[in-house]
Amino acid sequence: MVGAAGRLRDSGERALIRFLVRRIALAIPTLFGIVVVVFLLMHLAPGSPASAIGGAESGRRVSAAARAEMRRLYGLDRPLPERFVQWLGRVARFDLGESFVDRRPVSERIREALPATLALNGLALLLTLALAIPIGVAAGGRPEGPFDRTSAVMLFALYSTPVFWAALLLQTLLSVKLGWLPLYGVSSDAAPEGLAGLTDRLAHLALPVTCLTYGSLAFVARLVRSGVAEARSQDFVTAALARGLSRRQALWRHAFRNALLPVVTLLGLLLPGLLSGSVIVERIFAWPGLGRLYFDSILSRDYPVVLGLSLIGGVVTLAATLAADIAAAFVDPRLRESA
Amino acid sequence: MIRRLPASGRVALVVVALLWLVAAVSPLFAGRAAEIRLDERLQAPSRLHPFGTDDLGRDLAARVVVATPISLAIGLVAAAVSLVVGFGIGGAAGYFGGVTDLLLSRLVEVVLCFPVLFLLLALAAFLPPSPATVVLAIGLTTWPSDARYARAEILKAKSLDYARAAKAAGAGPLRILLRHLLPNALAPLLVSAAFGVSWAILAEAALSFLGVGLPPPAASWGGILSSAPAYIEEAWWLALFPGLALFATVSAYNLLAESLRRATTEAGGK
Repeated sequence: MVGAAGRLRDSGERALIRFLVRRIALAIPTLFGIVVVVFLLMHLAPGSPASAIGGAESGRRVSAAARAEMRRLYGLDRPLPERFVQWLGRVARFDLGESFVDRRPVSERIREALPATLALNGLALLLTLALAIPIGVAAGGRPEGPFDRTSAVMLFALYSTPVFWAALLLQTLLSVKLGWLPLYGVSSDAAPEGLAGLTDRLAHLALPVTCLTYGSLAFVARLVRSGVAEARSQDFVTAALARGLSRRQALWRHAFRNALLPVVTLLGLLLPGLLSGSVIVERIFAWPGLGRLYFDSILSRDYPVVLGLSLIGGVVTLAATLAADIAAAFVDPRLRESA
Repeated sequence: MIRRLPASGRVALVVVALLWLVAAVSPLFAGRAAEIRLDERLQAPSRLHPFGTDDLGRDLAARVVVATPISLAIGLVAAAVSLVVGFGIGGAAGYFGGVTDLLLSRLVEVVLCFPVLFLLLALAAFLPPSPATVVLAIGLTTWPSDARYARAEILKAKSLDYARAAKAAGAGPLRILLRHLLPNALAPLLVSAAFGVSWAILAEAALSFLGVGLPPPAASWGGILSSAPAYIEEAWWLALFPGLALFATVSAYNLLAESLRRATTEAGGK
């Protein structure tokens, strides 16, 4: 390719490729670290070498069978480095072992619980963005204006509200007192067919989705607001206004687009927050998803499931942050230089 | 520092002080909080029992008061653990830079990738149940945000003249960090601490609500709330009042942190 424009595009592409290579290379040690942390978590478990050597049971009762299973599964009689290599090999083959509870593969139990959690978190994420972005743009468009002030107070209150308390209050008000929404569950026992069945399911989704949404809503809306507020005073927005664009167009097309980047990069990190919320929300609303599976497995000391879910949670988050960073680099050339 | 706080920050400071005052006098209510009267179980709020009674007929108001020092202290100590670990790791990453920074930043990233509650639950449930376990579990899972903050602050401060002067005068890295950089990073440290306390209080409440927090009979607000779902259809007060105390505390600390941040960034001169 000859010519100034071609060379310019070339250097831009090279910067992008350099960024991608560097970003992916940095993710490899992180991935390794995630596997190491889960491996260490496994050693906290009673019946692990730590407690076997000390002879202590750390106050928890574990059946001999479960302990034998742990030993067999993880080769606990081997030296630590050898065990770690074995563990790496199993993880690389996506072999997460069998559940202590029903002897079924961990991956199968996770696959069963996945749809319920995806529905819950997917809806929560969509609702978060659908509400947070307009609120953030409106508030950031006129910093210290009346809307900014009221929304700031409300978002702050939401931000400080413990999710289990919100869930209990909503249940008390909307389910017990008013009888509008079901207390918990995925659907009614005698779930009707067709459209009525769909409304029944949506009614069951309403409270858990609300509980999962409001926290991240506060977080994302504040992020959008500060981004828009900062971009608003910059030259390109003034220039857009000077070109005759309406305030609305200037805000959405120019200010918001610049505020979108931090939101995109943070979307990956919203994921662990949503999963954390899922543990509490799914427990309160008896929702058969990953959060409840994790909590039940903690209580029943089903270590393979606990470790498998932790590993997947960590790896998926890493993949999501990586994807978000790469997406951001494609959109914004400035990022390729800095990172 | 306090003089620069906006009005909302002063209100928050007063609320926090009041909460600690309640905590200080709470032993006076210990007897009343522990008194079981099965004939008075699940009574709605009245003049005798302003917050009602719980499933064992104990006075809920007294229980909420008695739980105050537990929640506050666990929050404070856990936040301190998180702050020490986070500022140690983040400070070292920012100060030494290079490979140290690269490795420590990966460590931060690793912990951030896990859902906090996953790690918290595993640590709290697998280690022997005790207040120390709860504090450690919270401290060891929440330090990455402190570390990121500390790293950014130290990076900013280390290129300033006074730090370079100290280095030129022959001061070692530890001396520069502790004698020169740390005192100047005190304001951001306070902001981080205030956010950390509110976080830790919430985390402890979540653990106790889920039943893997403090072992009984010690009951924090989260612990009292854990009995609320079973009586959701008959006793709304079981959910309302302990949660209200929790909400007030968390908002007060958050508000304090927010105003501290605003006071320090504005003072930093933009």
